[in-house]
Order: sequence, then C-alpha cells, then structure tokens
Amino acid sequence: MVALPATRRRRVRRPSAREAGTALLFVLPFLLLFAIFRFGPATAGVVLGFTDYTIGGETGWVGLENFHRLVDDPTFWSALRVTVVFTVLSVPLSMLASLGMALLTRRAFRGAKLFRSVFFLPVVTSLVLAGVIFIWVFSDGGPWSRAMGALGLPAQSWLADSVLVIPALVLVSVWSRFGYGMLILLARLQDVPAELEEAALTDGASAWQRFRYVTLPQLRPALFFVAVIETTVAVQVFDMIYVMTGGGPVRASYSLVYLLYDQGFKYFDLGYASAIGVALFVMTIVVALIQRLTLGREE
Amino acid sequence: MTDTIAPPAVAPVTEPPRRNRRSYRVGRGSRGWMITRTALLLVGAVLTLFPFYAMVVLSFKPTGPVTFPDSLLPWPFSTEAYDQVIGAKSVLRWMWNTVVYSVVSVVGVLLFASMAGYAFAKKRFPGKEAMFWSFLAMLMVPYHVTMIPTFIIISELGGVDTYWGMIVPTLANAQAVFLMRQFIASLPDSLFEAARLDGCSEWRVYVSIVLPLIKPILATLGVFVFLWHWNDFLWPLIVGQSLDMRTLTTGIASLQQENVALNMLLAGSVVAFVPIFMAYLIGQRHFQEGVSTTGIKG
Repeated sequence: MVALPATRRRRVRRPSAREAGTALLFVLPFLLLFAIFRFGPATAGVVLGFTDYTIGGETGWVGLENFHRLVDDPTFWSALRVTVVFTVLSVPLSMLASLGMALLTRRAFRGAKLFRSVFFLPVVTSLVLAGVIFIWVFSDGGPWSRAMGALGLPAQSWLADSVLVIPALVLVSVWSRFGYGMLILLARLQDVPAELEEAALTDGASAWQRFRYVTLPQLRPALFFVAVIETTVAVQVFDMIYVMTGGGPVRASYSLVYLLYDQGFKYFDLGYASAIGVALFVMTIVVALIQRLTLGREE
Repeated sequence: MTDTIAPPAVAPVTEPPRRNRRSYRVGRGSRGWMITRTALLLVGAVLTLFPFYAMVVLSFKPTGPVTFPDSLLPWPFSTEAYDQVIGAKSVLRWMWNTVVYSVVSVVGVLLFASMAGYAFAKKRFPGKEAMFWSFLAMLMVPYHVTMIPTFIIISELGGVDTYWGMIVPTLANAQAVFLMRQFIASLPDSLFEAARLDGCSEWRVYVSIVLPLIKPILATLGVFVFLWHWNDFLWPLIVGQSLDMRTLTTGIASLQQENVALNMLLAGSVVAFVPIFMAYLIGQRHFQEGVSTTGIKG
C-alpha cells in the first residue's frame, strides 16, 4: 500500500510553489485535526504517565512514581491477568470459528450468501446491546445454565462465578467477532488457485491433506492479519464487561482498559491512568512482535 | 473506535470466478458431506440468531419475571416496555444524539479524508512523506493512550457534554485517509489533467471530478464510519456525561446500571438496533465487500 516512490518516478518536475500550496490547503484540515487530536495526544499520553495530572489541580513531574505504583498495585496485576486470559482464550476460539464458517460457506451453493450475512450480523451489533441480552442468556435458570445443566456441566449463572465469568465473556466475544474473520478468510479462499486443489485431488490427497497442505498454507497471511486485528480488539476489551459484569464478581473480569477508565474518569487520576495506557502500549508492541516472529515469520 | 492497519490486499468476496467453475468437483463432495455442511451451518445460524430473537421477543413482554423457555414464546404480548422506555426514559433524546454523532462524523470524516487522500495520491508538496509516515506510526498507538489527553483538551475547551466535543476528535481518522489515498491513486491522472487544462480550479476538480469518481469508496467508508460511531461506547461515555448528552449505547448501559427491568432494557436495545439493522439490510454489499477488499475493522 505504500506506493509513494511510484508517484515520484512518474513526475520528474519539481512541484511549483502554487501547486504545493493548493495541495497543502487540501491536506490542512485533516492535518490540523490529526496534530491536535491524534499526534499531540499520543505524545502527551506517554508524557502524562510521568506526571500527577488531575483535572483542575496542580500538575507536577513525578518521574517513575506512577510506574512504581503500577508495579505494586495488585489490581493492575489482576487486570493484566484477566486481559491476558481473555485474549488467549478468545482470539484462537474466534479464529477457529471464522475458519470453520469460511470453509463451510466457501463454495457457491444456494443459501451460502444468506449464511454469510447471518454470521456477519453480530459484527455490526453494538457490544452494549449484545451484553444486555447475554446477561439474560447467562443468568441463573437462563438458556445457558439450562443447557449446561442438561450436559452435566456447572449450571449456575456463569457471570456470577469468579472462574466461569471469563469463559462466558469469551463466548460473547467469539459470537460477536467470528463473522469478521470469516469474511477476511473467505476473500483469501476465493483466490486460492483451483488448480492447486485439483492437482492434490488427482494425487489422491484426502480432504484433510488438501486442507492441511494446500489450503492452510495459502491462508497463512490472512490468518496472520485476522490474528493481529482480533488481538488488538481483545486486549482492549471494555464495553461488554462494563455492561455485563461491571468487572465483577470481585474484579474477576476487571480488564486493563476498565482499570484505565476507572482511574482516569472515575477517580480523575489522569497521570496514573496514562501510565496504565503506556503499559497497554508496551503490551501491544510485545504482542505484535511475538505474532510477527511466530505466525508472520514467512512474510 | 480504533484505527487499524490496512491489510494485505485481498480480493472481494464474489462467487468463484469463471476459471474455477470446472473445479466444482473439488469442493462439492459427496451427498453426505452436503448434508453435514447444511446441518453445521444451520446450528451456527441458530446460535448466531438466538440472541437477536430473544432480544426482540423478551422486549415485547409485560414487566414481570422472565422464565426460560416459556418466555421465548411470542405471547403474552405487550408494548408496555416500549411505552415506558420511550415515554419515561430519554431514549428518543439519545437516539437523536446518536444520529447527530454518527451523521455529522460521517460527513466530516469523508470530506476531510477525501481532500487529504486526493492530495496525498495526486499532488506533490513538501513534508508529504513525513506526514504520511507519522499517520502510519500513530496507528500503532492504542486509542486509549490518546484518549486521556484528548479528553483533557476537550474539557479545557469546554467541549464536555457538547456535540462538537464529542464529534471533532473522531474526525482525525487516519485509516480513512489511507483508504482514500489508495483508491484515488488507482485513478488515472489523465482524468484530472484534462479538467485542469480546461481551466478548472483545484477545488472545482475536487468537487466535480474527484468526488464523483470516488463514490464507491465514499459509500464503503461511510457505512463503516457510521457503524463505528453508532456503536461507539467509551468516548461518548467519557465526554457525554449528562443524562441529555448520552448516546444509545451509553444510555442503555446507564439504564442497565440503574437495574431497570429486562423488558425495558431490551426495548431500548431494539430501538438502538433497528437503524443499524436496516442499514445492514440495505448496504450489506458495502459492509461485506468493505471488509473483504479493505480489511476495514467491523
């Protein structure tokens, strides 16, 4: 997508001052918005982590104090654990569902489009609305607890249980996200040359072998892309937790972004909240590197 | 609402192209497989749709205990929850706020992003590459890091509990500029040169040549910007604090925290869901192709 050199090659002449001027006028509105509401805040967000900024109060430079506080804060560690467990469970599960549904709706058959549309519907649905209805789905005596009871599994309200609350939220997240990955994988599947699969079929490869050695390698870049996007979404989980559990029971579903929100906008300790933001940033970079080194290594 | 990185180029979801046609035997398989596939898809569809069904059916119940599975029957039927949630609660006001927040943002994002995208794709000016790379770099920074300083700026400017305070920061959408730049770069230069030789001003070229040509990407992007704003939660939660400035998402979340009865909560949810559902029905192609061709985050 970075095609700047090409433009340069085509036009050899230098831009006239007038041309550059009009071009800048076209960029200017966005540039101002970007500088004020994105570039500035991104820098300030990191800097604030080293201050004790509170709204309306005196602001002082406190060095690493916020980060020391963070390391000593058991709530931070518990929020980090909740976020990591949630991400580690929900991303693979959601991708598995995406892959399954992409393979099932891959061929053109009557109803294929309808199924795709149905599976994408939760993606366009707000997690607040999803949260409201899933509170009922997971309530004591609700559909989920009945179904679990029938299967001989824990039949209480999963949202009220400090261990089961995360799996319950993971299920909601899978429900809400798998349609997105499905569409990305489908787009890639359409590009897999049919000749490849035909050749494998002629060679007597079983369905599993065709999938494992022909389809899956072709899907790798798309899977990597979905993994990156879904991890970003999962690490920032907030909306549905806010609505469904409020972080409870007893912080069992209290995520990092929830902690950031509480510290910043309930206690107005914006310096500390920014330090949490920096931790989130570092975590994003580490995860991105790990993904690039593992899943994305062939690119 | 979070910016995401543009994906590796992927083809749109279409029916398999002609060259694949003769290869149907690869995927068609046996009758047994087709039955299994249909069964699996039906189970998937039922699990996916069940929450929507429950949301609608339970919203039309009189206030009272909800039992499973009896409550999933369409009767007893009552619009009591809607009367209450629309009459006594501020749902219509929240709906209006959500419409303003979404529609104004769509117009703003499309306007500024297409102007900037045009300049980045077809113009040369000093600092172009530096700007472009700084846009790209900022996509790496989590939204939550920038959210706090953005709130401080808005609150210092007196934008808390105002529409502009809610809308203006969301117009700095770098992903939109990327998509615009990418799309406009693929248009032949000759189209613009001709108009310029005819003596059109740059603004005129933008309005009467660029805008009509980029309709497809305007539609796709517009649909997603609308969706992001309609469903946005954290930013409206922070900046729209008073009862009158809530959006549908933050308003319904606040009802939930007031322990309002389930049927009312669900009635509010249905009211919030219907517009996006209608948009999805009408613009399905844009939603699905937008994801397939650009990887734009749903």
